[in-house]
Amino acid sequence: MVTGASSGIGKATAIACAEQGARVVINGRNVARLNETLRTIGDLKLDNGESHIVIPADLTIVEQRQALAEQVPELDGVVQCAGIGNRTLCKMIGEEDVREVMSPNMEAPILLQSGLLQAKKIKKGASIVFVASAAATMPAMGNALYSASKGAILSYARCLALELASRKIRVNCISPAMVWTNLALVGATEEQLREAEQNYPLKRYGQPADVANLAVYMLSEAARWMTGSNVEITGGTSKL
Amino acid sequence: MKNPFSLEGKAILVTGASSGIGKATAIACAEAGASVVLTGRNLSRLEETLKQIEDLRLKNEDFKSEHVVIAAELCEQEEINRLVDAMPELDGAFLCAGVSDTTPVKYMNSEAIERVLSINLEAPMLLTQRMLLKKKIKKGASLVYMSSMGVEQVTPGLGIYAASKSGLNAFMRAVATEQASRMVRANAIMAGMVKTELIDTLSQLSEEDIKRDEAKYPLGYGKPEDVANAVIYLLSDASAWMTGGVIKLDGGSSLIN
Repeated sequence: MVTGASSGIGKATAIACAEQGARVVINGRNVARLNETLRTIGDLKLDNGESHIVIPADLTIVEQRQALAEQVPELDGVVQCAGIGNRTLCKMIGEEDVREVMSPNMEAPILLQSGLLQAKKIKKGASIVFVASAAATMPAMGNALYSASKGAILSYARCLALELASRKIRVNCISPAMVWTNLALVGATEEQLREAEQNYPLKRYGQPADVANLAVYMLSEAARWMTGSNVEITGGTSKL
Repeated sequence: MKNPFSLEGKAILVTGASSGIGKATAIACAEAGASVVLTGRNLSRLEETLKQIEDLRLKNEDFKSEHVVIAAELCEQEEINRLVDAMPELDGAFLCAGVSDTTPVKYMNSEAIERVLSINLEAPMLLTQRMLLKKKIKKGASLVYMSSMGVEQVTPGLGIYAASKSGLNAFMRAVATEQASRMVRANAIMAGMVKTELIDTLSQLSEEDIKRDEAKYPLGYGKPEDVANAVIYLLSDASAWMTGGVIKLDGGSSLIN
């Protein structure tokens, strides 16, 4: 299952998983865009006659989250990509801002995870991947809430990895620096970002496919010995 | 649709290719379609690795890759020079050759330090330097350095080894920063305990000690293939945006220790 699969990193990951032969559960909020993801994957037929499925759900709404956990098949892998960006200077942060960011970025992934585990939808030997962010350790103006939410995910994922290790379920995180998605455009224009990306050693921000490829590696048997890890993929930058 | 994890058309150097992780990676790179330059000190064991690769080729008619063995003692500058002169231009390199050491701090001396550092840190640094100087690292190439979780998960007796790998991590970041303008990437793999011949050289540890140690790994000790797979990701175009980074592979041992 890939959450946030209607756009950006989630969409690219769903496509990459399908290209590597997986049957993908495509989750997000926007039904039209999820179906677009499915259409893109659609030509890639599965050998066993099964098909990919779209299950829309707003993961911040408990009933929809529970419905998703009930509807998904047993999973060999989960990639949690759903999340939002936010730019609010610390001085201006109010309770509403905290809720607005923590709900989708921290609470939803954690609660989805417990729901899946309670519904016994995570198979032995499965691989769980959280898309966190290099922002967890690299500060940027106005990025405190986003950074905090991603730092929370990193800490949570290590505990989850510890708890699930006895069932050989692996848990790892990906921490990208800036990636060209709608989220990157929160608080900056494309022009500003095009200029800023020149400061990256590899002279570019990431593409969703860069993160998707790493997720595929983590999901596969190639990474069977990796758990509790966080891989930073940053185009060489140490500054967001 | 091209597989982003393929190494087809790429020339890859593997040091320490005569045994353990280096050997498994050389074979895995060949399986992924690369032409491999195998180097190490022991010529007959390098040729054994090459033979295993050639046997694979017989099973897969599509291979158009050419592999070559160049034995070299990488602690000697003249040997480094000879290897670099003989190698083709590279799309990637896995600098894996290394030794372990279990001298507790109280019993260390300069000989022990010198031996481990010269093999584990100086040799990869000087090899990197020579390859860059002689223009054997193509634009867009990927360099992978074999490091260790020992850098952070301190095991008694592994102080010199950990110091050498910690140095290698820092050096890798310098390479990544300096070479980025040529799109040359550098990354490291920090692995926990992998079942190879190197474990047998840890003479201070009994079989009991080893069993007790392996129990600390939720997923057990690693296999050479686990590292090889991560190397393939890093050498391939799939990781084109990753540089200056580290992949930690430890079977979960850092979670419980």
